[in-house]
Formats: sequence, structure tokens, C-alpha cells
Amino acid sequence: MKKEESGQGTQPLRTREKRQFRFPPGYGDNRIVLLVRDPWWIFSYWEIRQDKEEDTRRKIHDSGDAPEKSVLRIYDVTDVNFNGSNAHSYHDIELKGLANSWYIDVGKPERSWVVDIGIVTKKGNFYLLARSNAVKTPRYGMSDQLDAEWMASEEDYWRMFGLSGGFGVGKGSLEVREMVKRRLEEYITSGVSSGASFYRRPSERKFWLVVNCELIVYGATEPDAKLKVQGKEIRLRPDGTFTLRFALPDGQQVIPVEANSSDGIDYRRITPIVTRRTE
Amino acid sequence: MPKGYVALVLHAHLPFVRHPEFEDFLEEDWLFEAITETYIPLIRIFDKLIEDGVDFRITVSLSPTLMSMLMDQHLQAKYLKHIDKLVELSAKEIERTRWEPQFNRLAHMYHYNFTEARRVFVDQYKMNLVNAFKHFQDRGRVEVITCCATHGYLPMMEVERKLSVGAQVKVAAQLYEKCFGKKPLGIWLPECGYNPGDEEILKKEGIKYFFVDTHGVLFGAPRPKFGVFSPYLTKSGVAVVGRDTESSKAVWSAKEGYPGEYNYREFYRDIGFDLDYEYIRPYINGDGVRINTGVKYYKITGNTNHKEPYIPEAARDKAADHAGNFMFNREKQVEYLAGSMDGRAPMIVAPYDAELFGHWWYEGPQWLDFLIRKIRYDQNTIALTTPGDYLKMYKKYQVLSPAASSWGWKGYSEVWLEGSNDWLYRHYHKMVERMVEAATQNKSAKGLLQRALNQMARELLLAQSSDWAFIMKTGSHVPYAVERVREHAEHFTEIYDEIKEGALDEEYIRMCESKYNLFPDIDYSMYSAA
Repeated sequence: MKKEESGQGTQPLRTREKRQFRFPPGYGDNRIVLLVRDPWWIFSYWEIRQDKEEDTRRKIHDSGDAPEKSVLRIYDVTDVNFNGSNAHSYHDIELKGLANSWYIDVGKPERSWVVDIGIVTKKGNFYLLARSNAVKTPRYGMSDQLDAEWMASEEDYWRMFGLSGGFGVGKGSLEVREMVKRRLEEYITSGVSSGASFYRRPSERKFWLVVNCELIVYGATEPDAKLKVQGKEIRLRPDGTFTLRFALPDGQQVIPVEANSSDGIDYRRITPIVTRRTE
Repeated sequence: MPKGYVALVLHAHLPFVRHPEFEDFLEEDWLFEAITETYIPLIRIFDKLIEDGVDFRITVSLSPTLMSMLMDQHLQAKYLKHIDKLVELSAKEIERTRWEPQFNRLAHMYHYNFTEARRVFVDQYKMNLVNAFKHFQDRGRVEVITCCATHGYLPMMEVERKLSVGAQVKVAAQLYEKCFGKKPLGIWLPECGYNPGDEEILKKEGIKYFFVDTHGVLFGAPRPKFGVFSPYLTKSGVAVVGRDTESSKAVWSAKEGYPGEYNYREFYRDIGFDLDYEYIRPYINGDGVRINTGVKYYKITGNTNHKEPYIPEAARDKAADHAGNFMFNREKQVEYLAGSMDGRAPMIVAPYDAELFGHWWYEGPQWLDFLIRKIRYDQNTIALTTPGDYLKMYKKYQVLSPAASSWGWKGYSEVWLEGSNDWLYRHYHKMVERMVEAATQNKSAKGLLQRALNQMARELLLAQSSDWAFIMKTGSHVPYAVERVREHAEHFTEIYDEIKEGALDEEYIRMCESKYNLFPDIDYSMYSAA
């Protein structure tokens, strides 16, 4: 890909010591962040400061309890100004090993989510380490909300929906509903992903073999001579030599090479004949 | 009056790749190939249409990174060398294939096209192809719109969203205005990545419309009365335009799409790979790695490894057929819709990656040329339009809250958020936080400090290009993508630390500025919290 390591090699003047940047495992923060992947999945990454965790564990012990497990607590906070205890519902995912990110299957479009990372104790209490931002999963499917100013019959809404989704014409609402159920996934996944074709991976080829032949015709004459190969004038190099390279198909090639001296007096002609046969 | 409208949209984008420290850099070829195979063929077609007096309308989005590269003198000079080499190679090919007429005529075709490309680039547009698009816009033919500064994928900008998305949009709008002398009417959201609420940010820059994928409109609320066949207004007043599925599939689909036609040119048989190494060596990468040269002699032929020679006339006939088929299907679509639109004329929105045309689908530009001419002269049911024009046609549009969506695989964010690339976001988000912190603490900085903050903003934006995550997912050129994010994070973090320590190193900042020199008028204060 590159001839040498890129970098700042050409600019040696530096007053402050520069170190090569490596992506750090953390930035010394205590946080958890949510991102939405699709209507059913959200992604979380987090970083918990060691002092914060130790402090929390100490608190748990001081209260006569003991930590049992680390969890992500996923709250459904749809239309709620979340204060830690007013979620519609929540469920826990137990964290094992050294995970610092997690894909969470919330399974519900058009709902809002907040995730706490924390410790659940033997007595079942939850101690918070960090609370995330709130995110909302996308709506999936036709809205139930109707616009009084832009009303249509149920049948017409579905018809338009089907036409927009490329389900074809002349389908009634029942048919479209059925097709939507079956094909909604398909039209969204029809592989029309963008992506510049430049970094497309070439499709894997099966085993293959290509064989071609080329012929090199070369020679030399007086540097100021006129040279023709198969009747076509050829430019000589300053020393009077020439090289021609041809793709050689099956069959016979007659290659007359003619040289004329610059004063027009001398003439030479040599004619190689080459045959290629492929079996 | 036509019964309906078709809005063709070409989205042109490449990530900012510029390496003056190397004479020859593999990933710079993306730009050079795209210039030769996509941008110049499109420019030639638009020029000829104008010359022939053909009335047409089309929308082209130019990403700010692409515009910056097209306007960069270093890359312009490198492209000139690149195209000169192709002219030379194709001349040699004319000699080499003398005994094989089926290839010899193709060598002549490439030689002509490369020579033409050079002429268009050097003589006609004085090395700056942005001028070409300005010309087409000024002539009333192309509606040029913008895209985000570095094609950052907006749905992932969850931390400091307003400032983070705001900067991507603001830098884009400013560059557009500088180049085209007015504000952009529309914007192509990178990957159609729409996060509800971002339209407020677009509105601040005076943008009138943006695009979403089909389901962004269909799943919108309240129920959209006209499907994707009309724009809608978001509550902000900015219009949203949804992609039509049928016309998309016709071109994009691997199974049903036109580009799979057997008479079309095969992409994967390139003389850069096929010919003898010694012969092709001067025309491939400086490292000696075989690459595509753009000279390809075979047609797709069929689902087989055996490939037959490409026959341009046969391919051209197919491109004409396919253009006719596309037009016919749009006419039928419009006729079918006509009764259901409360008397409005439907608009069918067909957006494509520009680089699909010519680079990937060699006959794409011909197809487009045929399509435009046929629509103009062969029927009266449909006409070409742009979203900007269409939005002027009616006084009222339904108000809609579009659903979060993208046009990527599966319709949401899974391409840019999965095992290979999800690690990026904690670093992106940290950089954004630090940018906001530095900008807020150093309001109205002057001199070197101002330059340092501006460069931080450039490095942050460059790191955010959706291309890096995309490349990590697709699996080719991955080391380059990882190195680019790392390098931008390094420059960014170094300058951030220097500012905090009050120890600015001018040489270092100058090095960063000269290496990543885009967006000369950037103003870091857009990251400053109120």
C-alpha cells in the first residue's frame, strides 16, 4: 500500500516531545454511551474509573452486603423524563469478562432507552456506576397517526405504501399487508448499499487459467535509416535499434521488415514468418 | 404538461486522500480513476447535451472532500501525470494488439477516451472540474447540492450532536457558497443517514431539502399520503425527499439490475492484472503492485470465467434498450399513480452513487445520455426535474416526521456499527468533546492559537469520514483506513495537549496544515458551546 511508513518524517523541528498516538483503552472517564443500530438493537460502550468502582464496592460492603455481579440495566423510558425509578420496565444483562461494549437486543422499535451500568448485590440492591444518554429506536412500519388534512382511505394508504415499496401495481390493501409482512425485510435488504465501488472487494473467482502469447520483434539498422514493419513506419531509437511487441494470435504472421538508407540507395528486407497454434 | 416527474440524483463522493509526501500513492488512484471513468464522462455528456440544445434537469451532489480534491493543485498535477501515462499505455496497446482486431479497436477506443479526458481536464476546464459543475448549474441544467463536510455518518454523532452535526453541515455549506456563489438548496445526507431532529441543523444553513431512503418516508408519521412520490415538509420547514424503490432496483440490484447485462464490460478483467508484468510495470503502482489501469477488453459474457471480447456497439445497443426500458417503466408508474395524487403530478426520485456510472458500470454514462434524450424527445408522459424545481410547484405539502433510517445494507446503521468498526466511536466522541472544550475555552483566539484550533477541527472532521468505518466493514484497504483515523487522532490530540499546556509548536501545526490542507476558511468557533 505505501512505499514507507507515513508520518511526520519530513518535519524534524519539534520543541515538545511527540509520541506516536495509539488508541487508548480509555480516557479516564466514567461513562456509558448508547448508539442506535436499528429498530431492534442498540449498542453501548463504557469506561468505568477504577476509583469509582472501588468506592462503590466499599459502600456495598459497608452496608453489610456484597457485590454479586456487574450488569447493564436497560430501562424503557419512552415518553418519560427518567429519574432512575420511573421507567416503564427494565431488564438486566450480566457482564462477564472484560467487555467494554455490548450490543443490546431491545427488540422494540419506537421506544426510548437508557442504560445504567452498575453492580447488583447479593441482597438484590443496585449500585449505579454510570448512566447513559437516552436514545430512541426507529419506528418500523406504517404509522397509526392520521393527518386530518391529508386523509386517504385505508385502502389508498396501503396502495401507496405498496407502490412506494416496489411491490407492484394493482394490489389491494390485504395483499399489500401480507406482502409487507413477507417482503419488507427484503426490500430494505435488497443490497443497494452505497459505498464507493473503489473499495469493493473483488468477487472471488473460481479456479482459472489464462494463457496468451506475445511476440517480440527486434533488430537494428543505421540510425538514420527508414524502417518499415508490415508496411508501417517505425521510429528507431537513437542508436538505430528497435523493439516491437505484439500479442500473437493463432495462425500465421508474415512480418516483412524493410530498411531504406537515408540517401535512398540501399535497401534490405527480412521477413520472419511465425505460426502459433493452440491446442 | 407532463403527468409526472423523474428526479435523477447522482451523489459524487470520495474521501480526502492526498499524500504529497509520496510520488505515487495507491489510494490516490480512487480519485484519478473516478475522474477518468466517471466525472469526465459525465461532464462530456452534459456538455454535449447543452451543445445539442437538449433541455434537461438533473441533481448532482458533490461532497466537500471531493470538491476539495478537485480544486487541489497538487492532486491536479498528479492527475495530469496519471492521464498522460494512460494515453501512453493505450498508444502502446494499439501497437501491441495490431494482429488482434477485436482488441485493437478497443485499444483505439481507450486511446481516444484518455486523450479526450486530458483535453477536457486541461484545455476545457483548466484542471479544475468543479468549474464544470458550476458551468452546468449556471446554465440551468444541473442542480448541484452539497453533502456533509467529510461525509460523516450523522446517526453515530450522539455526543454533542448539535455541534458535531452542525460543523459537518456548516463547513459543507460554506465551501459550497464559496465555489458556487450561492447557498446550497439541498443536501445529500451521507449514506442517507437520517437522525430525527437533524433537519433543524440543516435549516440553520438555509438548506431547503434532504433525501432519505424509502422507509424513512413510509415509516414517517403521520401516514404519508403520497408515499415516496411527493416531498414532505418536516416541522422545521425543510423538505424531505424519499427514494423510489423500483427505479433504484433497476440500476442497483445485482440480480435484476441493468449493469449485470452480459454485453456490458467486465470490471474485473483489467490489463493491469492480465498482461505480462514487465510490460505493464511502468503503468501500475510504484510499489509494483498490480492494479486496475482502466483498460479492460472483455464483456461480462455470462456467469463464467471464460470471457469474450467486449463489443462496444452491442453494449451501446443494450444501454439504449435499458434506457428505453427505464423510461417506459417510469411512464407506467406515473400513469398508474396519476389518479391517486389529488391532481398532483408525482415525482419519482432515483438517486445513485455517481461512481457507479462509468467506473463500475462502464456503460452507465451512455445509459444516462440515452435516457435524458429519450425522455426529452420520445414521449410526453414524464419530464425530468430536480427537488428544488418540484418544491416550487405546489403551495402546500404534507408535514411529516421521517423515521430514522439510512440507505445502507438492512436500512439502518449496521454497516457503520458492527464488530469491525464499533471501536471507533468512543474515540470520535472523545475528540468531539475535546474539540468543544477547547473551542469553548478559547473563544475568539487569534494567531497561532486560532490556527491550532482550526487544524483540530479539520483533523476531527477528516477522522469522521464514514468511509473509514465502511472500509473496515468491507475488508479491503483496511490498514489504510485504520491508519488514517489514527493519524488524525494523533494530530488532533497532539495539538489539543499543546493548547492545554500552552506550548504550541508552530512547526508541527504547519506540518498538519500542509498535509491536511482542505477547508481553508474553516472557523473552529462553530464548535464553541454557547
